Amino acid sequence: MNCLEFRREAGAQPHGLSRAALAHLDTCTQCAEHLRQLLAMDAMILKALQVPVPGTALAHRTPGSARPAAAGPVADRRRWYALAASVVGGVLVGILLWSSGSRDALAQDVLAHLAHEPGAMVATQVPADTARVQAVLQKDGLRLRSAMGLVSYAQSCPFRGHVVPHLVVQTSSGPVTVLVLREEHVRRPLSFHEGQYVGTIEPAGPGSIAVIGGSPQQVREAAERVMAAVEWLPK
Amino acid sequence: MVRALSEIRPQFARSLYMNAPFAGKDGETAFARLCEGLRPDLFRFAFWLARDREVAEDVVQESLLRAWRSRESLDASGSAKQWLLTIVRREHARLYERKRFDTVQVDELVSAESPELAVAEEREVLDMRRAIFALEDDYREPLVLQVLMGFSTQEIAGQLGLTQGAVLTRLFRARQRLLRQLGVGGPAEDAE
Repeated sequence: MNCLEFRREAGAQPHGLSRAALAHLDTCTQCAEHLRQLLAMDAMILKALQVPVPGTALAHRTPGSARPAAAGPVADRRRWYALAASVVGGVLVGILLWSSGSRDALAQDVLAHLAHEPGAMVATQVPADTARVQAVLQKDGLRLRSAMGLVSYAQSCPFRGHVVPHLVVQTSSGPVTVLVLREEHVRRPLSFHEGQYVGTIEPAGPGSIAVIGGSPQQVREAAERVMAAVEWLPK
Repeated sequence: MVRALSEIRPQFARSLYMNAPFAGKDGETAFARLCEGLRPDLFRFAFWLARDREVAEDVVQESLLRAWRSRESLDASGSAKQWLLTIVRREHARLYERKRFDTVQVDELVSAESPELAVAEEREVLDMRRAIFALEDDYREPLVLQVLMGFSTQEIAGQLGLTQGAVLTRLFRARQRLLRQLGVGGPAEDAE
């Protein structure tokens, strides 16, 4: 791979370089510097894209504040239906959260995130693409120093305003979800459960990791494997 | 023995393995929670499509209403996030694309976002936001999907109906433009 090819690849996906591109880096300091610039720029792009999100629709919008472009009886009716749907959704979520008691907000967010990708946490022996797993970890400044076992799912997911690695690790007794939370700090391990899910959020590196599975043993096995396998690099 | 998710949490098992994963009362609750959790992503995606906070709020409201009505058609094997983002994208196109002004005053857009940002965020973030505002739609959208949503180039290609090669080219050009606008330099445009 020459410098031009490298820069085309790095410019399109600086967090997911091919082996050939990574090999080129070892021989070209200029391209290494260019990659450093791109990665720094991507971190800035992410910050810039994370515009503040309004709390709730009802708190910020009223039908009277609709833009002229969307005005009119049909648009107003649609807006009222939307507001009604929002209220119904909010009430349902409220009931759900209220009934769950006083669990920690971070644990609740972790559990809520699990529901985002319902097809991910399944028992399987089909591994995710290794390059993808590495890219997802690399994006968060993590490196694999040893194998963590069969990883069946790897995705960079938005979580509390940051993009975090979301992995599913297959243990001897079933799938376990792992979220690597560089920006979430806990002083000591926090255990929680909901229904037949059990989970833990433990201090790790500069932040923490959340591990959710079907049994405490399963969670412990996965947590220890992940802790031992990942190396936290400075971001 | 390997336990499937169905053995871990029955209500999620229904969501996973039934043809209509968000049907029934459990499904409604799960879907409401799903939407609430994804609302920040949906809003930010809509915002960067429309480059307007109020339009983004309108688009998300309409999209969630449509999604609510069609929730039973959400396939358990697919990604809920991608499904909802597709609805947002279509809703934005349907309601507002034709009404959008041909030219956008980038400085006005940035200053409209600035009051709450100027205090809390760095100058570089504002400069970057200005540069992203100024990107053409074709370059901004794949960049948002990649950097903010964490999608792979293959997933972006699926979302936008493009080839993976076209997505790679657009992402490359988007970063080139940002580098130039921010005065960082970068390789010459001939690499395109």
